[in-house]
Amino acid sequence: MTKIILNGREVEADPKQPLIAACHEHASAVPMYCYHPGLSPVGSCRICQVEVKQGETPARVVVACRTPVVEGMVVNTEAPKAHEARRQCLEFLLKNHPLDCPICDKAGECDLQDYSFAEGQGEGRSVEPRRKLEKRKSLGDVIVLDQERCILCSRCVRFFEEVTKKPQLTVAGLGSRSVISTFADRPLEGNYQGNVADICPVGALTLQSFRFQARVWNLTKAPSTCGECSRGCSITVEVLRRQEVKRLRPRPNPAVNQFWMCDHGRFSFERFNAPGRLAGALLRGRTGLEAIDPADALDEIADLVRMHGAPLVVASPWLTQEEGERLRVLGGANHFLSPAPNTLKDDLLHTGDPCPNRRGLGALGFAPLAPAEALERLRAAPLALLVGERAVELLGAAALATLPSTLRLVVLDTHPLDAPAACIEIGVPDASERTGTWLNLDGHAGTLGIARSAPAGVAPLTRTLDELVRRTRGALAR
Amino acid sequence: MVIVKRKELSLAERLYLPEVFRALSITFRAIFKKKVTRQYPEERLVTTAVTRGQPRLVLLDDNQHLACVSCGLCEIACPAYAITIDGAETERCIEREPKRFEIDMLRCILCGFCEEACPKDAIFMSDELELADFSRAALIYDIEKLKRPRAALQPRIDYFYGANDRWRKRSSTS
Repeated sequence: MTKIILNGREVEADPKQPLIAACHEHASAVPMYCYHPGLSPVGSCRICQVEVKQGETPARVVVACRTPVVEGMVVNTEAPKAHEARRQCLEFLLKNHPLDCPICDKAGECDLQDYSFAEGQGEGRSVEPRRKLEKRKSLGDVIVLDQERCILCSRCVRFFEEVTKKPQLTVAGLGSRSVISTFADRPLEGNYQGNVADICPVGALTLQSFRFQARVWNLTKAPSTCGECSRGCSITVEVLRRQEVKRLRPRPNPAVNQFWMCDHGRFSFERFNAPGRLAGALLRGRTGLEAIDPADALDEIADLVRMHGAPLVVASPWLTQEEGERLRVLGGANHFLSPAPNTLKDDLLHTGDPCPNRRGLGALGFAPLAPAEALERLRAAPLALLVGERAVELLGAAALATLPSTLRLVVLDTHPLDAPAACIEIGVPDASERTGTWLNLDGHAGTLGIARSAPAGVAPLTRTLDELVRRTRGALAR
Repeated sequence: MVIVKRKELSLAERLYLPEVFRALSITFRAIFKKKVTRQYPEERLVTTAVTRGQPRLVLLDDNQHLACVSCGLCEIACPAYAITIDGAETERCIEREPKRFEIDMLRCILCGFCEEACPKDAIFMSDELELADFSRAALIYDIEKLKRPRAALQPRIDYFYGANDRWRKRSSTS
């Protein structure tokens, strides 16, 4: 570590990182557009200018993102000269920036807007008309480019060059006619396009699916973990008006996903918004499935366990450690559904394994079971528990409907299942509505966060299982 | 606990009848005074541009599209949480328009913050004040009930800008 003097205070700085990293680490709000901690610094936007005095030379204004940390350097981020340099730089960045914040989706989380609000001048001095460029240029299915809003920071260009290692974007044209463009106007491809919308400091690159969907200040945000593969990327779940999940974004986590997440995980949120949730509990009566009190449904399950002995437990791979610990004492044989690896595996983040808690459930004594094999086991069992979100989806509702009605199937899922074998169903919360832990493939614990409340009548699965364990304690005495 | 002391009544008051006649004399005198009640709905309140009635949405000059771009600033400025907006993409030059714009008139307190927050001159306080219906749901106004041609709101728009100019002049000199 190197010692520098930052705003009159002696602090320790990492000599491998540029000066701006030290400024941010020690809570000095130096603005940045082109610098991103996950990308190489280029110093193209010049907004991170600070005053640096080194040795005997007089103090100079330099860009903090391209300045290495040197022992004993004196840095002043709030010097009048630095403020003036940043103000002038900002004026030039805003020279051609359209003032369409009311329309722009980035408004509210835009670095340019925030810094203009903090330090910019109220009125522009420019009398020339602004650049006219393409306002909605589609770059493939995921990203829309607004060339007028772009400040040419080149974060997106560097993202494809340095992170995915497959360059797809470039700065085309010269001078004031420079624009971000794909090579030969080909659409963007790959599983990591969505990240460029996150790292874009302005509203130039936006997600096609999030366009005009919500104002960002109306979104409630909760830190959580992505459940689409066994990597378990740290994410933020963003919910509109406490009901509808609108967006998943990566959360920086150097141990797992750095700053990124894949599009497969990013757009998986739509399953949270599937209608027809199972609220409360259902019991098969004479006329079919009828709503009953969840507590009574638990009594019924306990009766079944007393009658048939320990059930076959087939858990969803989205089961958390906390739920698994409670569930494993219930079953005679514990399994979790393990669908075949998908083809999305790459060498960046996606592991191709759709089970986010494979490692954790394995440690708890759950054996992996392919869906086809699970159906065979279910066919032969007298009593089975199908537990956790999307367990029905993985087995297929149509396949479950063919199971014989000699099987007593108890379903604890988010959505109701219409099958002759299903005799008791209890609604459970999905991954955006509960808390818990998943262990990713490296054994790193990812925590689920509660981003919204579960539908009325749906209790946390841990509580449901606790109740069930309490009720079946006598029947399962070993 | 507070003990309220009763007023000691005089002899005339205790006799009861003089007080009745005194009250009646006040009533009779009021017959010849100027009336303070208004015969609503035949006689209506005179509204001016200063009147802050219910908020209304301004239509563009084509009388078809709203000036609103659903930026959500009125929604966030509204202290009574009366406004709900959902945006959608358009094919026009203005890329965004409201798909749903609802004002719960039962929540609206006619404060005019939405009008002040709007960066697009799309919402103004009209001179419409009456609010009655048989259900609460009918008083959640949607775009169809809220939209007005610009001409209908012009006096308020002119007043609003005049008032803002006066405020600007004062604040710049002070």
